[in-house]
Amino acid sequence: MDSSTTHSTPTPTTRREVVFCHECHDEWYRDEKGIICPECQSEFTEIIEDDNDPRDNFDHAHTDDDDDLDDSLPPLEESGSSNHPLHNHNPWSDADDPEEADISSMRLQPIGPGRFHVQATIHRTISPAQFGASGNGLGAVAAFQSFLTNVLQSAHAQQSPAGASGADGQAESRSEGDGQPRVHRFTYSANAHLHPRDDDHPEPRGEPVDDLENVVTGLLAMLGEPPGGRRGGPGQSAAFRDMPPNPLMGLFAAMSGGQHGDAVYSQEALDRIVSQLMEQTATSNAPGPASQEDIDALPRKNVSEEMLGPEHRAECSICMDEVAVGEQVTELPCKHWFHHPCIAAWLSEHNTCPHCRKGIKGEETSASAQQGGHGAASGGDPTSSMPGAFGVSGEGTANQPYGIPGSSHPDANANPESNSTAAREGAGDGSGSGLGERLRRGLFGSPN
Amino acid sequence: MSTGAKKRIMKEYGECLADTPTGMKINFDEQNMTKWEVLLDGPEQSVYAGGHFKLEINFPNEYPFKPPVVSFKTKIYHPNVSNDDKGSMCLGLLRPDQWKPPNKVVTVLSLIQSLLIEPNIDDAIEPSIANEYKENRKEFEKNVKDWVKRYAK
Repeated sequence: MDSSTTHSTPTPTTRREVVFCHECHDEWYRDEKGIICPECQSEFTEIIEDDNDPRDNFDHAHTDDDDDLDDSLPPLEESGSSNHPLHNHNPWSDADDPEEADISSMRLQPIGPGRFHVQATIHRTISPAQFGASGNGLGAVAAFQSFLTNVLQSAHAQQSPAGASGADGQAESRSEGDGQPRVHRFTYSANAHLHPRDDDHPEPRGEPVDDLENVVTGLLAMLGEPPGGRRGGPGQSAAFRDMPPNPLMGLFAAMSGGQHGDAVYSQEALDRIVSQLMEQTATSNAPGPASQEDIDALPRKNVSEEMLGPEHRAECSICMDEVAVGEQVTELPCKHWFHHPCIAAWLSEHNTCPHCRKGIKGEETSASAQQGGHGAASGGDPTSSMPGAFGVSGEGTANQPYGIPGSSHPDANANPESNSTAAREGAGDGSGSGLGERLRRGLFGSPN
Repeated sequence: MSTGAKKRIMKEYGECLADTPTGMKINFDEQNMTKWEVLLDGPEQSVYAGGHFKLEINFPNEYPFKPPVVSFKTKIYHPNVSNDDKGSMCLGLLRPDQWKPPNKVVTVLSLIQSLLIEPNIDDAIEPSIANEYKENRKEFEKNVKDWVKRYAK
């Protein structure tokens, strides 16, 4: 921000508004340079709101003497603050209405030809005495607020250990709060556009999102944020990340997902979220564990000369230990065999062959898996339609089910190019068939 | 970590030593065998030629039932390597749901090498780089070389 902001002394009648340009991220004082971006001439600008300003801290560090801006500081204020003189600072606000003492400011201000900005700030000290009064005058907002307050009252009473400092089970004060009654603030702002639609100057797309953010922020303030959490601006996301003190907070934290304002503006950010989601579900696409009975039921056999194959040596491909003739191994229906402890460890997590991903229950499992993968894979090759069957050496081993694990599978090692191709093809299908499989399990029960 | 897992990692290291893929050097610490440091030369036929990349392979306790975790310690401009301080790679056989115990580290190393030669665009972790690779190959190669010069010499 330019240096002029640091020595500004707001006049008593106007509040200096900072305008932010969504195009070039410039910011300036509105009364100096107007609403159109002086840098890039964009009209995609927004007046920074008290509780919707990522530069909150900076902004208020030097305007502490401005009572109006103080509004956006953390919600802990003295209980009588709803009558503080800031109302007089606001040329658009009415004189205090005793019936609506908790509306500290309500403004309708023109911000451009035919455009208005509406802002209402409500101060609320949560205490039982005020719940009854909360319904008056504020219409839907107050009704919703009191609804939430009532819902939360029980939650706070149940689980706020430090809440003892607040006499009546109200929201816990912030750590520096000396047990003062907590004032919650709910700010609602909206920009009203009264002009006809203009193709050349589309409305700023960010606004609806910002409004949601306002609402969520306001709600969070009411719900009581975690001790030490900061409100507004960048601190807000920190509050989201903290452990939510009650279930509703958890809900909001989940809604916001740590993204500032829950807003995704770029393709990249969206892609990140999508891949995050895919990664979260990645493991769940893997086949589920096999039951102990199934594992125990697998046939054991002693390694014979012909099982060693042409190289006359073989190893268990899990532990990579060499296996000698006569040693006992466990064989899966697909004829792949392993040391029993080795394969048991794998099967306790996945009920498929580590090599070819065939189900360990023979027909039954592979049939159901096929069903699950229906439509997602090319069909024909039974392994390819199994969930997660895009593994590297899967194709090769499926065609040679009698192959000896480990030593006889150079295709697993030697062909990285086809590996990545297989993986590439698999990426899309994996989720599809995995989902299908899970849906099928949900509907028809697990085959195990 | 189970002794079985340790034994297997030792065996794999033995295999790698006996037959290290070209352009690779593996630093193995017996005290901490679950963390391999790999020095990888950019393959000659790739845009990464001339670069020397340090990778880390971390074996989870559940290895070989869970895939090893691969990360680039040297910054690299690549669609499949996350452009952050982690430099993580998660694709193909390295994905938890696609990994299987018979896969070996050698397989993983060859996969990485082949990805330097041809990135896997459809499974990119950096969509913007993938996009550039698809639509503006020149710019992509310029950036790669720029980064190689800056970070991987």
